[in-house]
Amino acid sequence: MRDPNAIDFWRGLALVTIFINHVPGNTFERYTYSQYGVSDAAELFVFLAGWSIGIATRGRDGTPEPGGRSVLRLLSRTIEVYRAQLTVMLMALAIIAGTALLLDNPLILEWHNAGGFFADPIQTVVGIVLLTHQLGFFNILPLYVVLLGIAPFFILIARRSRVAALIVSGGLYLISLVEEWNLPSWPGQGDWFFNPLCWQLLLVLGFVLQDWNRESDTLRRWSRRLFPLGVALVLLGIGLALFEIRPDPLRVPEPRLLFTFDKTYLTPARLIHFLGVLLAFGPVYGLIAPWIGWAVAYLTQLGRNSLAVFSMGSILSLGGQLLRFWTGGGFLTDLCILCLGLLALGYTAWFVEWRSRKPRPRV
Amino acid sequence: MALPQAATPGLTRPRRLEGRLRPLALRLTALALCLVAGAALAEEAPPRPAPPAVVSPPAASEPGDTSLSPECRVPGSQLYTLARLGAVKAALKEKRPVRVLSIGGTSAGLGASSTYPVKLETALERSLPDVDVVIEARGLPGEIAGDAAERLRSIVAEVEPDLVVWQVGTHDALARVELSAFAEALDDTVRWIKSHDIDVVLVDPTYTASLATDAYYTSIVNAVREVAVREKVPLVLRYEAMRYLAGRSDKGAEGHMLGRQFRINDLGLRCMAEHVTRAITLSLLQPETTGGTKEPPALKAQGRGDGAGDGKAETKPGPH
Repeated sequence: MRDPNAIDFWRGLALVTIFINHVPGNTFERYTYSQYGVSDAAELFVFLAGWSIGIATRGRDGTPEPGGRSVLRLLSRTIEVYRAQLTVMLMALAIIAGTALLLDNPLILEWHNAGGFFADPIQTVVGIVLLTHQLGFFNILPLYVVLLGIAPFFILIARRSRVAALIVSGGLYLISLVEEWNLPSWPGQGDWFFNPLCWQLLLVLGFVLQDWNRESDTLRRWSRRLFPLGVALVLLGIGLALFEIRPDPLRVPEPRLLFTFDKTYLTPARLIHFLGVLLAFGPVYGLIAPWIGWAVAYLTQLGRNSLAVFSMGSILSLGGQLLRFWTGGGFLTDLCILCLGLLALGYTAWFVEWRSRKPRPRV
Repeated sequence: MALPQAATPGLTRPRRLEGRLRPLALRLTALALCLVAGAALAEEAPPRPAPPAVVSPPAASEPGDTSLSPECRVPGSQLYTLARLGAVKAALKEKRPVRVLSIGGTSAGLGASSTYPVKLETALERSLPDVDVVIEARGLPGEIAGDAAERLRSIVAEVEPDLVVWQVGTHDALARVELSAFAEALDDTVRWIKSHDIDVVLVDPTYTASLATDAYYTSIVNAVREVAVREKVPLVLRYEAMRYLAGRSDKGAEGHMLGRQFRINDLGLRCMAEHVTRAITLSLLQPETTGGTKEPPALKAQGRGDGAGDGKAETKPGPH
């Protein structure tokens, strides 16, 4: 078990934020930082995934592990995430169907894209396995599967040249924005909610910056210098969010995705805002960690076990949504969902670590 | 809360509302028959079996719209409010294909021919002969009061349709978002779509018995109606239409292993394309000068147990 660190802390915070934001309409949603900017916790989560890959594919002394080993490591992680996605999708569909039966309410079957499965299971079950049919709020893991799947390609390039990896990644990002490339949904029309062709840039950025940060203190020096710019971007983001100022996608010049605030394509405005958040909040962990030991312990434990916590969080937030619907919502319900959810996320992280410490039983 | 019972159409066991529903005429006829057969015989006659729970359709004088298939037949006043569709008319005048973006709810546009977007395209092309209708269908995960409004703008910008057919309100109702936030976001978005000379048809959330007494849900349906009136866009009264269909006799209808509400819901999904098409084709006949929609009466959540009082609602309250 690694010691508490900034990466796990922020990842834990992103997980808690995603959990709260995935129970829409709840009282506490307005207190998450996602409501006060152009980008949100998803960017943080993917960037930190890239940063972690950088750490995981090198030894403690910084020497890179053999390329083949890194490829296998990422392949193994891809399979793990894919398995988690299939499991949570199946559980989510069962929870939706079960609630519809219990409450004798077929309306629930229309829950965020689930209707497709219940109306046309023959095609949709194939789409679920292919990751081309996604439920609302259950679309980050498919993105993550693709990103981990293509990560070895970028990592092997970055071993030779970080700049080359950034150029390839940035090029794919730009061309996807201009040409509006995305992976298709199936069955049915439309595209992925998180476009991997664009979001890969954030993963590669995380990986490359971690590598650069490890090698020299240039990055740290520049982040200190650019701190005021980061604060300015964060303040600008707060202003834009509070006054609901955003470009009209039918009035911006072509190629329109360069100018809009689109989450699917991680448009430049979101990316720039996120980099501002990084600059502004980068130094914060070191300043606050000594004062909030309990929160650091809790959040870093979540961050260390992000896949299990994220998966459990997805199921819990769905449960929270249905509970709000059934009870009619309200502050007390929201408070219960928040407290029970945070406890359950903490317990999940603890359980995963406990299980990894215990010798596996022989069956 | 209980698991739903299997539907038993034409079932004759006593029901709470039966007394109120049994027509007086039936009793009078029975009395006359008894007189003819002789008083003594009449006294020994076994009790007449209760008639099946038939709820007389609302506004009995108004027949179902006969252009619809029999199982989907609903009177026009309970199916739509009409308004001008300028952009679609312009496309028809220019003899170019009409691009329709079907969005929200069950619009994900799955490939099977029985799904709503495919049916909608077929129904529209049948109603508008010699017109090529191109449907782009998208699901819209998220709430209008949340991120989905922004997502919808991106999709509209991507598809650039002449008409947006928008099933709205279900996700927000399921999330129990603040009513005012929902109404405001919906109004903003409809106004935005219209500001780009794109037509909008709204489809309000469906009816199901277990929500008939839910005041919040009814308010969401009413909010959609208010926006449709304010923004002068056609509205498919899905809630009202399904309430009407739910109140019709079960006679001749197939059962559903999951219970009556699920059968009615299936029926609603089957009928939606026809209902939407009807609202669109009639809206296209609206004269240029009239822009206003006639306001449908606001819904009220039914008090528990008084559902059939107005003749529109379920005779069998859903299990709770």
